[in-house]
Amino acid sequence: MANINLDAAKANSYDVIVIGSGISGGWAAKEFTEKGMKTLVLERGRDVQHIKDYPTTNKYPYEFEHRNELTLAIKKENPIVSKCYAFREDAMHFMVKDKEHPYVQEKPFDWIRGYQVGGKSLLWARQTQRWSDFDFEGPARDDFAVDWPIRYKDIAPWYSYVEKFAGIAGNKDGLSELPDGEFLPGFPLNAVEDYFKGVIKSKYANRHVISARCAHLSKPNQIHLDQGRAKCQNRTLCQRGCPFGGYFSSNASTLPWAAKTGNLTLRPFSVVQSVIYDDAKGKVTGVRVMDANTKSVTEYYAKVVFINAGALNSNLILLNSTSKRFPNGLGNDNSLLGKYVAFHNYSARISAEYDGLAQFATDGRNPAGGGYIPRFRNIFKQETNFKRGYAAGFGASRYMDRDRSGTGETLKDSLLNAKLGPWIVSSHMMGETIPKESNFVSLSNNKKDEWGVPLLNISVEYDENDVLMKADYIEQLTEMFTEAGFKKITPNINSQSPGLDIHEMGGVRMGSDPKTSLLNKWNQLHTCPNVFVTDGACMTSTSTQNPSLTYMALTARAVDYAFKMINQGKIA
Amino acid sequence: MAGGLALLPSCLRQEGKSTIQLKNISISLKQENILAEIVETLIPKTDTPGAKELKIHLFVLKMLDDCYEEKEQEQFVKGLDQFNEQAHSRFSKSFEQLTVSQQRELLSAQNLIADSSADLAVFYKIMKERAIDGYLNSQYVMTNLIIWELVPGRYNGYFPVKSA
Repeated sequence: MANINLDAAKANSYDVIVIGSGISGGWAAKEFTEKGMKTLVLERGRDVQHIKDYPTTNKYPYEFEHRNELTLAIKKENPIVSKCYAFREDAMHFMVKDKEHPYVQEKPFDWIRGYQVGGKSLLWARQTQRWSDFDFEGPARDDFAVDWPIRYKDIAPWYSYVEKFAGIAGNKDGLSELPDGEFLPGFPLNAVEDYFKGVIKSKYANRHVISARCAHLSKPNQIHLDQGRAKCQNRTLCQRGCPFGGYFSSNASTLPWAAKTGNLTLRPFSVVQSVIYDDAKGKVTGVRVMDANTKSVTEYYAKVVFINAGALNSNLILLNSTSKRFPNGLGNDNSLLGKYVAFHNYSARISAEYDGLAQFATDGRNPAGGGYIPRFRNIFKQETNFKRGYAAGFGASRYMDRDRSGTGETLKDSLLNAKLGPWIVSSHMMGETIPKESNFVSLSNNKKDEWGVPLLNISVEYDENDVLMKADYIEQLTEMFTEAGFKKITPNINSQSPGLDIHEMGGVRMGSDPKTSLLNKWNQLHTCPNVFVTDGACMTSTSTQNPSLTYMALTARAVDYAFKMINQGKIA
Repeated sequence: MAGGLALLPSCLRQEGKSTIQLKNISISLKQENILAEIVETLIPKTDTPGAKELKIHLFVLKMLDDCYEEKEQEQFVKGLDQFNEQAHSRFSKSFEQLTVSQQRELLSAQNLIADSSADLAVFYKIMKERAIDGYLNSQYVMTNLIIWELVPGRYNGYFPVKSA
């Protein structure tokens, strides 16, 4: 009997277990397998293989039963995920339906999830900006959260490393607040975006409009072709999965790369209930998995566990990993696990019209989406009545003005022979929110899901700083639009709940002091050296950049460190 | 094909029932035919196909069936009947039996009436909006008249056009 158990343990043993196959889990898998480590990737959802499992990718609009619109029944069944811009007929099969995976909203929070191989890397908006020291030094300078244990110099080489492989389009803009990277050619701004860039440059010393940097192969290098990916074809149908591999996803890039090494075992339908801490051995030995379909429970063992389940789910797994040593959740000696959750404030937009440059329009589509305005508030010193600041998207486009007022041949003629309307410009804010102890997740003490895992309570909300910042965004963008001669300026303040930004971060924050943080500067649990968390859960603060690129870089860096520690016998 | 969309014929089709399977609303074949003439009057055949030939009326019914509240569905069906009653009272015939100019006259008159919550207005608003959307998004229009590209492969932010 003992031998049978030993054999089972051996069969279920790997060098490394990675929980989650999304944007950071995919990177952990690639890095470890390339280093020759036998790696088990556990994904709670189904398998999604590149191209083969993109059922809508080549559909024309008229091939969707409701022309890509949601039916009333689906909207009513899914009041949460229906709020997400990407939840449409063409991509809803990649998103969690409300009833499938309930959670507890102690305060309104729209938790948008993608439970399948590749996770949300299939669906992300693909915007990729580096952090600078103005971001890493934020908490220390402005006295919130805890100081980041790393600075730009620590992560810069890893940004370069992941950028070269993922393929990031952008221009060298020479901005200290938004460091340049290893770029493929940037997607150009259009006539009005360029015009606005010029106006802002002439009127403001430290405000800039640049081409949005994005994870698209504008001009693939050999390393991208080696992945089986090709040049972005400007489809902008990315959320369906790209048959060209034109944008970066785990499915198109890191996972097939990891599989080619022969060292990857990918196990879909594997719900991780908890990480196993062996009190006798005094260390983490593996994870406990329930098969999503058969409900059978299996333990898998490894020297190292990487937790990349998605920010809030990584919190959930750690909170649910209790032992004699860690009765309140793995690594949670300081009771801070699950706390200091933050997100991005997307709650304001502004749009306007521009009558100029009518001799130009656009042709084709821009996968970058247009321009990006890096944070310009409170960078060099505190200068407003709120902390931190916001970045903004900026785009201009022209639409056909189809007069729908008539009937008969008049109507038909006006529909088919429409005139180009004026340029429409629009912007949205992406504000930094301040992590606070009062914004937290915890385990429900009486509700479990069908896989035996407690539901997650989410208690996250905006605060006064967010309200002041939003007002400033509207005020500043109104001024900038006015300077540019834009007309019919229309602010749009929405009341969207946290979560819909899909940039939830924190709860397992990094820091130098084990008393005030969970992870050290290598994304390693202070108290469990063979457990690493490198997804959004690790974030000490949020800054204003789209976060995925930073998760990728932190992951590659953490794997490099973990591998060295294994080789030195410091992790066994 | 309704504008390029495959719609399964009703398996349980009885004499006088709509030609498409509808889950929530009940439409007779006569009502369907009247709606076909109404969308055709709205977007008529010229040197290119009109809405009836593109089966836009079936698309309108599909969207009504799946994307509207029960109250709006009821109002639509009542409004459709009320619209046809106007044909009877003005010309003593059902709408589909009118001459083209009579059909145009009735539709133009309705088009001038401001939105309201009345059944007829709800019917007209939904019909017109969905018929135009369905037409513009139909396979015929998207592949022959206003070309939609699956794979543009290019972006030009300074595409020259004639200034208005």
